[in-house]
Amino acid sequence: MDQETVRTICYLARLEIDHKKSEKIQKDLETIIELIGSLQSTDTTNVEPLYSPLEMTALKHEDVEKSDNKKEKFLENAAASNEDYFLVPRVVE
Amino acid sequence: MSIQFKSIVELRAMLDKKSISTPELTQESLRLAKKYKELNCFVTMNEEMGPKKASAIELDKKTTSLISGIPLAQKDLFSTEGLRTTCSSKILENFIPPYTATAVEKLEDAGSITIGKTNMDEFAMGSSNETSYFGNVHNPWKKGYVPGGSSGGSAAAVAAGIVPAATGTDTGGSIRQPAAHCGITGLKPTYGRISRWGMIAFASSLDQAGPLARTAEDCAILLNEMAGHDLKDTTSLDVKVPDYRENIEKPINQLKIGIIKEFNLSELDSEVQSRFQDSKDLYEKLGAEFVEVSLPNISASVPTYYSIAPAECSSNLSRFDGVRFGHRAENTEDLNDLYIKSRSEGFGDEVKRRILIGTYALSAGYYDAYYKKAQQVRRLIKNDFDNVFETVDLLMTPTSPNTAFAFGSKGAQNPVELYLEDLFTISSNLAGLPAISIPHGQINSLPVGLQLIGNFLREDQLLNAAHVFQENSDFHLMQPTMENFL
Repeated sequence: MDQETVRTICYLARLEIDHKKSEKIQKDLETIIELIGSLQSTDTTNVEPLYSPLEMTALKHEDVEKSDNKKEKFLENAAASNEDYFLVPRVVE
Repeated sequence: MSIQFKSIVELRAMLDKKSISTPELTQESLRLAKKYKELNCFVTMNEEMGPKKASAIELDKKTTSLISGIPLAQKDLFSTEGLRTTCSSKILENFIPPYTATAVEKLEDAGSITIGKTNMDEFAMGSSNETSYFGNVHNPWKKGYVPGGSSGGSAAAVAAGIVPAATGTDTGGSIRQPAAHCGITGLKPTYGRISRWGMIAFASSLDQAGPLARTAEDCAILLNEMAGHDLKDTTSLDVKVPDYRENIEKPINQLKIGIIKEFNLSELDSEVQSRFQDSKDLYEKLGAEFVEVSLPNISASVPTYYSIAPAECSSNLSRFDGVRFGHRAENTEDLNDLYIKSRSEGFGDEVKRRILIGTYALSAGYYDAYYKKAQQVRRLIKNDFDNVFETVDLLMTPTSPNTAFAFGSKGAQNPVELYLEDLFTISSNLAGLPAISIPHGQINSLPVGLQLIGNFLREDQLLNAAHVFQENSDFHLMQPTMENFL
């Protein structure tokens, strides 16, 4: 892993890393990737991945209309909102 | 009459005999929390709504649940309506949830009183509680030592006798390891036994809520209330909830316990080995039979976990973008800049590290090599468990390779050093199995935990084995002096 890869991953994750910490982060990531890399020695030919310990189909429930709209409460938690929307910096010129 | 260090069963008796009222009990618990403020086990106290609810419960004669009027603490990862929920992160420093997590709601509906929200590793990512934005939690047994993590605040609050029990969550050992380091009992139920709705997600296929308490019997009482299907969590199991207290006293002379060959216990600290041998002897005396079993892939658990958990974490934590809730950076140029600055200012180092690892493991070109590979190995680990549970009822291991350690003494140079804390606990998360940690002695005045792992949905067997152990030992009755926290 080089500094360029670290920068790319940081951008994908929308994170900025303090310049002073960048070398340490690179070293930490290398150590962890090395740990994960040790899995390559396990033979997994024809083994299906196990994405959840339950492996069940999600249960369906009836599509019933409910009216527990908490719009105001949800908007209260946003740093910027008007009556109906969350506000963000202008996206379209 | 003091309520400190009392169990739920003992407090229930005090309430029923009217030697204390519900409002007095709540006030006493809040007073103890203030008295031991230096432990730093609470992030937010419920000083307004808690006492109000206690007064209402006192007047309500209809609630007959065992936990009616009992003060509890909730890990600050469970959303609580109207009560700040931070996940011990700066990014949620001012977050007031609009709803309550199902697990907590069920406990509250049964009449328990939430007295506060407990400190934890930020977003539950850590094994020492040192990643909290709100500072370290002290181990009640030794100041300056970690309580374990991530449910460190919950474990410390119970060990200090402030509350008889608390909720926690366990993604890789986060209930069991702090329970072990603090000398209390902690149960991670089967994946899906308790609804995850309203829990702030870390790794969705591994996270599970559970109780931390002074005894296995109290854990059974709490599990009775917390377990069950929830329409709001499609991964919660639609399976009948038994009464976990019903067979808790059953003799264990038919019990067959497996010792995992691959864990190489002879390499552990000799004191940890000797406590383990003592507990094995006690179980044998009580009629249990031990056999050595092999789980050939279990040594791959740590790397498997540290691929899957960060991958799920990077996906789950993408919701923190500064727009709808949580910290929002000021003076940003555009939307992208808003995302980057809000997240970078809001998350701590360990959380960032795990998001980056997860992003890397899921990125194009690496997905098959890291993420998919880990999920394949995960299946092999689960198959190993399925095989051994055909011949044994439970598996027994130490909970942690060591006792609590001093602040800052692990993981600063190499994060993997701290990841190995979870060596014995994470395989049951990968396989979705229930496991419990019970105190079984001390080394240099610090508690040591014993872990029992059960088969799918066999919490009843775990609680039975743990309870019978506690009926025949007194490690769970030991109390820290607390004199350094006054």
